[in-house]
Amino acid sequence: MPDATVVTRSRRTVGHTRRAVAFALSRRDGVAVFGVVTAAYLLAYLVVVGHLGPGDGTWGVTVVSDPLSRALRPRGAFRFEPVAGLAAGPVRLLVAPLTLAVGGVLAALVGVNLSLSSLAVRQPTACGLSPSTGVLAAVPGLLSGAACCGPTVLLVLGVQASGLLLSAFSVLVPVSTLSLLVSLVLVGRYVSPGGATARDSFDSS
Amino acid sequence: MNRRTFLAATGVALGALAGCLGAGRESEGGSGPPSTDAPLPLAHSPALLREHTVSGGPGKDGIPAIDEPRFVDATAPALDDGDVVFGVEIDGDARAYPQDVLVWHEIVNDTVGGRPVSVTYCPLTGTALGFERGDTSFGVSGDLVNSNLVMYDRATDSRWPQVVATAIDGPLEGDSLRQFPVVWTTWGRWRTAYPDTDVLSTDTGYVRNYDDDPYGGYNPTTGYYASSGTLFAPLHEDDRFEPKVPFLVTRGPSSEATDRPSVAVHKATLRERGVLAAGRSLAVSDPTLDTGYLYRTGPDTPDPGAFSWTDGRVRGPDGTYAPSAVPLPATTTFDAMWFAWVGFYPETEVHA
Repeated sequence: MPDATVVTRSRRTVGHTRRAVAFALSRRDGVAVFGVVTAAYLLAYLVVVGHLGPGDGTWGVTVVSDPLSRALRPRGAFRFEPVAGLAAGPVRLLVAPLTLAVGGVLAALVGVNLSLSSLAVRQPTACGLSPSTGVLAAVPGLLSGAACCGPTVLLVLGVQASGLLLSAFSVLVPVSTLSLLVSLVLVGRYVSPGGATARDSFDSS
Repeated sequence: MNRRTFLAATGVALGALAGCLGAGRESEGGSGPPSTDAPLPLAHSPALLREHTVSGGPGKDGIPAIDEPRFVDATAPALDDGDVVFGVEIDGDARAYPQDVLVWHEIVNDTVGGRPVSVTYCPLTGTALGFERGDTSFGVSGDLVNSNLVMYDRATDSRWPQVVATAIDGPLEGDSLRQFPVVWTTWGRWRTAYPDTDVLSTDTGYVRNYDDDPYGGYNPTTGYYASSGTLFAPLHEDDRFEPKVPFLVTRGPSSEATDRPSVAVHKATLRERGVLAAGRSLAVSDPTLDTGYLYRTGPDTPDPGAFSWTDGRVRGPDGTYAPSAVPLPATTTFDAMWFAWVGFYPETEVHA
């Protein structure tokens, strides 16, 4: 049976994180950071997975037959088949709903991390906290996008693939998600939903 | 969305996510692909090849084979003359399979000249080979050995590394596939040689950026294809040549015929000389398609040294011939990157 104190502390931590996130997203500057970072990360993710790239100047939409079953067909770890292609002049986008969802969740987590971080570093007791905390946690998620076709990102890095490395690629998305959640809790401790005080008020509550 | 709907949707999503982490060994049943009378030679045992098989990243069918290929005529495709295509001609039916389409699918299950065949391409080893498939078809297992594509047949789920063309796992272990010639050439050369050719369409049933090769490019040669590094450790290291240098290769005809070894001919050298006496084989360049042929010689045939190169034709003791029509037993050849060939066949004869 879990220790009642641990359960209570966990609930309090989750509750505080939730309030801190709500507070950050209730502020105009917090929403701005969240929106810009989430959009930027999602675009970067789509580029890395090869779903967003330069177009050939043509315009048009291609949709596969039976898009529903195709959308659920996996291409690799946490990557799924595109169901549509959008050629929009200088840009070409492949639409894979579940890959988009995975990228969207990671992007939102990075966005809310940085939104919280940007508030925390402006509060007096947030010494040593850097906005890079959330960004670093997001790197595995971005790397995981390149795990298609033999992880071509290794070519860029000049690293030879090994069984261990390839296994690591398959868990980058869950590792990244977990890292971002932990980061969110840690950063949330530095933000007071009231806005006037910071970590000390949380610790004493 | 009520709670039950939410839970059902979550179940579907989790099932799909779980599915991408590993695919089981399933087969459709039926007979496997037709095999050769005698197995092809292997320098490494199936057990060793299985031991060195690794996941390439995508799961089984994560790289989808094209099962319902569509074709356009030679005037339609948006190809440059220098773009690489894999050419097949069977009983007057000529088809070109653009490299920039196959790099995304690796296998096309097709019927050419009335024969059910699979045209296969492995980008990491630079090998394009054709196999008879009978009543079944091939898919991409997602595994690699010596960086080479490991195919599976959908009848028995046996595993077939493309270059050795011999099953290393499954019910058909030890059987070898029947191979037919696939020419690695360029679109301009193929269209000139076969003006009525059909060309594999980008309307594959899948959505991909067919203008964008994830590994680099061949027109000009860039990225992985131009680099000296390999993505996976080779089965056998041999630094006599840069790893990606293309060779024209052929396997020994059978495991018993040890006096006829596997042969590798340096393509650039062959292109320069026209003909090359390659041990007991005669290598001949074909400038029209920028490819080559390997002919076997024996006690009843002229010696390879008796042939010479004259104005794009082969002069022998009894006449002058087109490169593809020298009156000697021809072998099935294909192009391969040096590291890939020497990895699978370390004892290969090398002519450069």
